[in-house]
Formats: sequence, structure tokens, C-alpha cells
Amino acid sequence: MLRSCRKLHPGRPRRCRRAVGLVGLVGLAGCVTVGPAQRGILAMPEMTPASDAQEEAFYGHVEAAREGAAGGHGAAGGGCGCG
Amino acid sequence: MRMRLTPRHLLASLLLVAVALAAAPAALRAEQGRVTVYGNYYRERSTRVLQPGVRVTVNAPDERLTFGAGYLLDAITSASIAAGAMQVTGGDRAFTEFRHEAVGTVASRLEAWQLGGHFRYSTETDYIARDVGLSVGRDFLQRTLNVALAYTYAFNRAFALRGPVDRNPWCGGLVPTTECLDDNAGNKNLLQVHYLSATYTHALHRQVLAQAAVETWFARGPMDNPYREATIPNGFPEAHPRSRDRVSLFANLRAAFPKARLVLDPRYRFYTDDWGITAHTADLRLHVRITRHLRARVRYRFYAQSQARFYRDDMIYTGEPDEERSGDPKMDDFMSHTPGIQLTWHLDGLARFPRLAFLEGAWIQATYNHIIFDYDDTRSIYCTDGGYLPKRVLERRQDLCGARLGTVAFSIAF
Repeated sequence: MLRSCRKLHPGRPRRCRRAVGLVGLVGLAGCVTVGPAQRGILAMPEMTPASDAQEEAFYGHVEAAREGAAGGHGAAGGGCGCG
Repeated sequence: MRMRLTPRHLLASLLLVAVALAAAPAALRAEQGRVTVYGNYYRERSTRVLQPGVRVTVNAPDERLTFGAGYLLDAITSASIAAGAMQVTGGDRAFTEFRHEAVGTVASRLEAWQLGGHFRYSTETDYIARDVGLSVGRDFLQRTLNVALAYTYAFNRAFALRGPVDRNPWCGGLVPTTECLDDNAGNKNLLQVHYLSATYTHALHRQVLAQAAVETWFARGPMDNPYREATIPNGFPEAHPRSRDRVSLFANLRAAFPKARLVLDPRYRFYTDDWGITAHTADLRLHVRITRHLRARVRYRFYAQSQARFYRDDMIYTGEPDEERSGDPKMDDFMSHTPGIQLTWHLDGLARFPRLAFLEGAWIQATYNHIIFDYDDTRSIYCTDGGYLPKRVLERRQDLCGARLGTVAFSIAF
């Protein structure tokens, strides 16, 4: 993959390698499974997207009236099941 | 309809509900559920919104089946012509309009699966909004990863006031009035929106949670304001396209630093649509645990958008029947800055005292945000008096205007 950076982006192989490295790191993080006993911090309200739902609904309403854009206010209410 | 609903009334109502909940018999509190009462407040140059509401969720008997219901009253006091002040008062004077919204929800968690559904109904003098939605989610990797899909169908009816009571269907500025009033016009005043979203949430580490979402909207129907004129000083009514396709990409990372009692919560959203608007939003929130039961949050939100393709800075339009026109500030290119603060007091500490055990899991929350809109090239149109900004700032920058946004909420488990 790192070699192919030279072929794909001969002008900027270093930037390409960094991007590949970053994607790799995120991928590795995805392989780590946090055990049920290690989820105390993830269960805190400030770490829980669902705890913002009421507030985000109001922001969504105000922004719809004042801005041309929309979204980003908790699409499907997805949680990590950390509770 | 005229009525004075002040912040004092709102606070009194919230206190009444809180006292009623506290006095509720123990038998009622034996159920598993939660009641949240809240009051939202929005204030800008010509508009004040007071929004008291209540939301109840009941587990029957546990998270395998949860019912929810909510009611919200929107009291909008406005002197804005765009809000219909001319039609209601006969002049550019303040009037109060009410919007009632009710929502019912049902959710179910069955092992790794989550299912949800809702129906929302909202009515006001010149608009009826209804939407029905379904969502499905599934946990993976021992419940550290969740993928959720949601679909909502909205079917709204638009009207234009012709007086304090009378109203006609509104089909959008591109549809001639006679055609819209024709009994055979069918559903031309119907706005239909299909909304689809996919959300990915992943606990990457025991202190890091990541979330990403893609959202799309496909809207068909009237999407302009029947009272707003798109030309200066007076002239042609606003005429937005009758279709709009929108896409939003959202990412959020929450990282906890337990020793410092901090949670860093950066968010980014990219938005684009076929009206030519592209927007970037960056929102950084910092949560701090001041004590075990008191937490604070500070935030800064930056928003920037480009201009819709049919919006003209000079507001000079030809008035051709099929010309797309806009006098809407949210179709212009602008930026906004929003600093904000929030305090949340968890009342579990008080639950240790006799007679206050019912406060287990309860909290009180107060939030304040100040929005500063920065219109680069329409200074005399949208920011005539600035609104809640220091005089010395407005002397230098007449293209700035501000708005206040606040919420007080009380939530109790039963």
C-alpha cells in the first residue's frame, strides 16, 4: 500500500503515506473491543449522544428557521449500547 | 390571537409541574420512566419565541418496550412582515402566534436490535406539519458498535393568511394564485419530504466514542414564504423552487480525560443541496465535572454557508412568471458564531435526605447561547438595529446582528 503511494501520487508520496497510516490507525482502533466492565466512562451523560436529544431538537428547529443547512442533530438516535 | 406569555409565566409553569411531580404518590413513581419539563427561549431583533414543553417516557415494563409522548407550545411574538404581521394586525405591529406540537413514540430493544417509530403533529394558523418515522438499529462487537437507519415521511400543508382568521392555500410563488385556489389544484399546497439517515456509532476505546452520520432529504412542494417580498422596496413575492434535494455528513468524537474531569466533544458537519448552498459547521464542546453532581459545558459553534443560486444581493428581479426569487436571509451567504454555556445539576446528592428519595436520577439544566450573525453584503437589510450586541461593536460593524437562545429543563425519573 505504501509503495503504491509513489505510483498513485508521485508528487506527494509522503502525504499519501500519512493518509494511509491514519486510516490504518482508525481501522486498528476499530478492532479493539471495550469490555462491559470498562464502559463506566462511556456511560456518563456527557459521553452519550442520546442525552443531547432534547437540546438538539431545539437547535435543529432554530437552525431550520435561520440557516440554509440542516442535519447533524442526532440522525437515528444511534447509541453505543454502553449503558 | 393576543396573549402575553413572559419568561416569568414560563418559569412559574415549570415550577408548578415540578411541585406536582414531587408530590406524586409513591405508587405512581414505582413505574419506570422519566418526565422532562423544559422551556426554550429565542430572541432576536423582531421575533421572540417562548417554547414550554413536556416529554414523558415509560418503560413497559423495561427497555424491551418504551412508550413516549411529548407536547410543546410555541408562542411566537413577531413584528416581522415575513411572519405575517401585516395580514394579522393590518400594519407592522407585534402579534403573537401559537404553534402546538404533539409527538408519540414507541421504541423497543430486543437483544442486539433496536426498533423505533414516531408520529408528530404540529399545527399553527397557516401551517400544518405531520411526520411519521421508523428506525432500526443493530449492535455489533459486544455492543460497542451500533449501526442505525431511519426513515421519516413528512406531509405538510401550507396556507397564506388573508386576515386575522381567513387563509388560503399557499402553493409557492411559482404557482399562480388562481391556479392554487382552483378546487382542481389538488395537492399543490402539500409539501412532502422523504428523509433518510444512516448513523454509525463506535466505542473506539473505553474513553473515546466516535459517531458519523449521513442524512438526505428529498422535498417536493411549496418552500417559500407567502408574506416575504424578494425585491426592494416592494414588488414580487418570493418564489423558491418547488423541489430540493439535500445531503448532510456529520462526524463527532467524544474523548474523556478522567483525571482532568474533562470531555472533549468536537463536531463537524458538511452540507450541500441542489439550490447551490454549501455549508460547513464546526462545533467544539468542552464538558467539565466541577463536582460529582455539577457539570458545566462551554461551546463555540462556527457556521458558514454559500449563497443559493437564485438569491441576488442587489435584490433586483425581473418578475418573470417562472423566475426563482428570494428575500430570505438564510439563502444569502453568511457566517455565524455561537458561544454558549450550560450547567447541569444532578440531584442524586439530595436523594440521600429523607423525603427526597424521589430525586434519584433527577437533574436541572440551564443553557444559554448567543448567536452572532455576520452578513457580509446585506448590511442595511437584516441588521438594522444589531440586536444584543455592544454599541461600540455595532458602530464599526453594521452587518452584524445577534440572537439569544436559552433553555431551562428539569427531568425526574419515576
